[in-house]
Amino acid sequence: MAVDLRALAHKTWRTVASIQTGVVLLILVVILSAAGTIVLQRPVTEPDEMQSAYSPQALRILDTVGLTDVFHSWWFLGLVLLVSVCIVAASVDRFPNSWRYFSRPYKYPDESFRRALRPQKSLAIADEESGLVAAQRALHSLGYKPERVVREDHFSIFAERSRISELAVYIVHASLLLIFLGTVVDGIWGWRGTLNLNEGQTSNLVELRDGTTRTLPFAIRCDAAGQENYKDGTPKKWWSKLAVVKDGRDVEKKEIVVNDPLLYRGVRFYQSSYGPNGKVEKLMLVAVPSNGSGEKREIGLAVNDTVPLDANTTVHFAEFFPDYAVREGQVYRKSNQLQNPAVHLVVTSKIAGQKIAGQKIASQKTAGKDFDVWFPPMDEVADNSKAPYQLEATDLKMGHFTGLQVSHEPGQWGVWSGVVLMGVGLTFVFYVVHMRFWAVPVRNPGTGKYSLWIGGSANRNRDAFEQRFNDLAALVEEELKTIPITSPSEQVTSVVEN
Amino acid sequence: MARAKAEQQQPATGMTLIVLVGLAVAFLLFMAFLNVVKSGNLLNETNLLFATLIFYAGAAALYLGFGVTGTESYVKVASLSTWLGLIASTAAVAHRWYEAGHPPFASVYEMLLSFVWTLALLTLIAEKRYGVKVIGTVTMPVAIVGVVLMQLLRTDVHPLVPALQSTWLHVHVTLAMLAYAACALSFALAMMFLIQDNMKTETFLAASSASTLAIYASVVLTRFEKWGGLSLVAWNPEQKSEVFLSKGVRLFVTIPDLGWLMVLALLVVASPLVFYGLARWRNNDSFLTAANRAVFLSILLQVMTLVMFLVRANDGRYPSLDADGLFPTSLAASPFILSGLVGGVFISLLYLLLLWRRPDLGRLLPSADNLDRITYKTIGLAFPLLTLMIAAGAYWANQTWGSYWSWDPKETWAAITWLVYALYLHMRITRGWRGRRAAYFAIAGFAVVMFTFFGVTYLLPGLHAYA
Repeated sequence: MAVDLRALAHKTWRTVASIQTGVVLLILVVILSAAGTIVLQRPVTEPDEMQSAYSPQALRILDTVGLTDVFHSWWFLGLVLLVSVCIVAASVDRFPNSWRYFSRPYKYPDESFRRALRPQKSLAIADEESGLVAAQRALHSLGYKPERVVREDHFSIFAERSRISELAVYIVHASLLLIFLGTVVDGIWGWRGTLNLNEGQTSNLVELRDGTTRTLPFAIRCDAAGQENYKDGTPKKWWSKLAVVKDGRDVEKKEIVVNDPLLYRGVRFYQSSYGPNGKVEKLMLVAVPSNGSGEKREIGLAVNDTVPLDANTTVHFAEFFPDYAVREGQVYRKSNQLQNPAVHLVVTSKIAGQKIAGQKIASQKTAGKDFDVWFPPMDEVADNSKAPYQLEATDLKMGHFTGLQVSHEPGQWGVWSGVVLMGVGLTFVFYVVHMRFWAVPVRNPGTGKYSLWIGGSANRNRDAFEQRFNDLAALVEEELKTIPITSPSEQVTSVVEN
Repeated sequence: MARAKAEQQQPATGMTLIVLVGLAVAFLLFMAFLNVVKSGNLLNETNLLFATLIFYAGAAALYLGFGVTGTESYVKVASLSTWLGLIASTAAVAHRWYEAGHPPFASVYEMLLSFVWTLALLTLIAEKRYGVKVIGTVTMPVAIVGVVLMQLLRTDVHPLVPALQSTWLHVHVTLAMLAYAACALSFALAMMFLIQDNMKTETFLAASSASTLAIYASVVLTRFEKWGGLSLVAWNPEQKSEVFLSKGVRLFVTIPDLGWLMVLALLVVASPLVFYGLARWRNNDSFLTAANRAVFLSILLQVMTLVMFLVRANDGRYPSLDADGLFPTSLAASPFILSGLVGGVFISLLYLLLLWRRPDLGRLLPSADNLDRITYKTIGLAFPLLTLMIAAGAYWANQTWGSYWSWDPKETWAAITWLVYALYLHMRITRGWRGRRAAYFAIAGFAVVMFTFFGVTYLLPGLHAYA
């Protein structure tokens, strides 16, 4: 039984680590992702649209299977996990071999290897030493660090470049896993939401996508927000001046624009929208005393503000109607849309004597006297001209809100480092070639003469490598001509010089 | 003997085509010149694009002529024409850039402009550096399609909306253009490989005819209406959505007579397959010649059907069987039929390309082995570029929308493209896929690229609405 289990485990391992399994899984990912772009997806589609696009039965089936939210369904997640397991298994399965190759470079080619290797070349040499020196010099001049390999009774030369290239594919696989890991971390601990702020408002409540609210350990205040337009009226720039408030202090300030968010303690604030909030920021007025004495004054008022006009008179911003209607001498709020705004001001005078003729107000005991002023002027409600000051509304500045996207993605560092690692890995995979050269002096047993066997191998791009190899062989031949036949000891010193 | 004779004759025919193409180019340039004189403005974008189109068309004609006859002198003139076209399109790119104040990557039109420019450049590189002279036969027609599409999609210079004002946009789109151009090149090389490889054209004939037949059969079976109409989904242009009668029930309009055309196309498309069957059954090769002729005919009819479909289904108003009145429809309402028809023409043209294979082409092209290797190298270039393109896009999205990946259709299809090429690399490196299978894979990969580039923009909704 135990043997069976082991056999089963082995078989499972072989299946999981096999390239076929990987390919089948990747094809499945391709098909299901494609399905996710064709079938309407719930998270990005209005419910009405979903219901009108599919019949109730079809929609029920799609929902049950999860095809209306492919990228958040358990089976898609499971598939991606399975792909990860496959990548790990395949890498683990193949890694020991590559590692052996990497950690114990094959430095002395034996005879059978020498026979089979392509490209290779044999050059006639006078003795062992001159061949070795020539090979060493040639490799040196090409920028290699040749190594003299000593085996029992003979010497040989070995040189290589970019051995790391043998492991490049594992770098790529590891980087992919790192990216997956980052997204999983984000899926579990990350969140996204929105935060709308009026100018001057402070808040620490983020409305999350699922409708819940998240309280931040610090608050955000919007000092100002605005929009700049191109000449043709299309928006050019949205900006918000934000401040991070913690324990009552401003700890950070930044003006954010669309592509430049504010980052504080792992939480990012993105400029996402901008618009009027339906509230009055300031009403600009020009006031002239009704009796003709005194000067014109310009004043700005917010709702509920009271501003003195002179020592005895004040103006108060009592009410604002974004969309008004008048019925039987009363002003009503028709809607909250900024369509037909009206402003109610109250001018208060402390001096009873300033009462204007025809004023119907009976009790004159108190000094205070209120005069209603409406913009636009509404004769059936109040007579603007009765007030001690003639007011004229010059501008109504509406307040704006800035819409912020808020996100916390603790796993994104995994993603970005994975991306960088993948770039490095792919560069190694495609453009860094592990090249090896060997040079072995061989004595022909028949003639007793020496020849230098040179061989080379590259793990990719073999045609270009052959050219390199031929260049090297030519160089060795050149070097051989320049080496005078001298005693071995001198040659060793010349090697050291090189 | 026959070859010697052919070689003697070639200079004459060679000169004829060069002179003809030269005359055509000169004539078109003259017409353009008249137009310039009339508008009084030489260096505007329309003129530059027109010049680009003329030179590319000249180059394409000569490259095709080279593909058919194998006359070396065509290539020289063709690459000269490509150079001139490249200069004209460089000027067009520069003009657009100057006018808009940002690199031309902000709309499909501008991206096509960049794509065509890159493609011409890569063609010249492949020709001069790697000696793949015939590459222009594939890439130049693609470039022409690009320029023609640009005329249809012509847009005014729009200022960049806030989300697009990022250096990462330029990095992202530059990488995308480079990657897609490299994919286009690998596709062209794979086609060259299939030409060079000793593959039986009959097999491809059967496969291509069967698939086009399947396309037309499914269209006719599902959409043919009484009295020869073709029914298409009605489209609401204001809401940009299909029209629904009730939940899940779409309103269909019927375009009169288009159904008959589809049936006719179905019959003609089926004929090569019939001839192929006869050839196999009777063991008679003369049926294969007939089949090849039938392919020509079917391409003509397919193109005609496609044009009729484009003309009539694009924003017309037609009656419906289910409701009174006329309803609008649009190409956007029938994405699958449209892609089917385009795909059919594409597959048949691939077969046509294979038919050029002649013994003397062998010495004009690099060897099959070399082509196979260069295809792999090109994909080795395209794949890292695709990776970086996706990464730059993700980084930009993170800066703008606060999320590096949101599964919008363009993103998803970019990932699919990446996966398809990843599969290619795995099959090649670990399973030793070489030659024909690898070439098919490279061709399929490019089809996915094209879908990601055009299909997603026009057929699937998403964040990339402006691109």
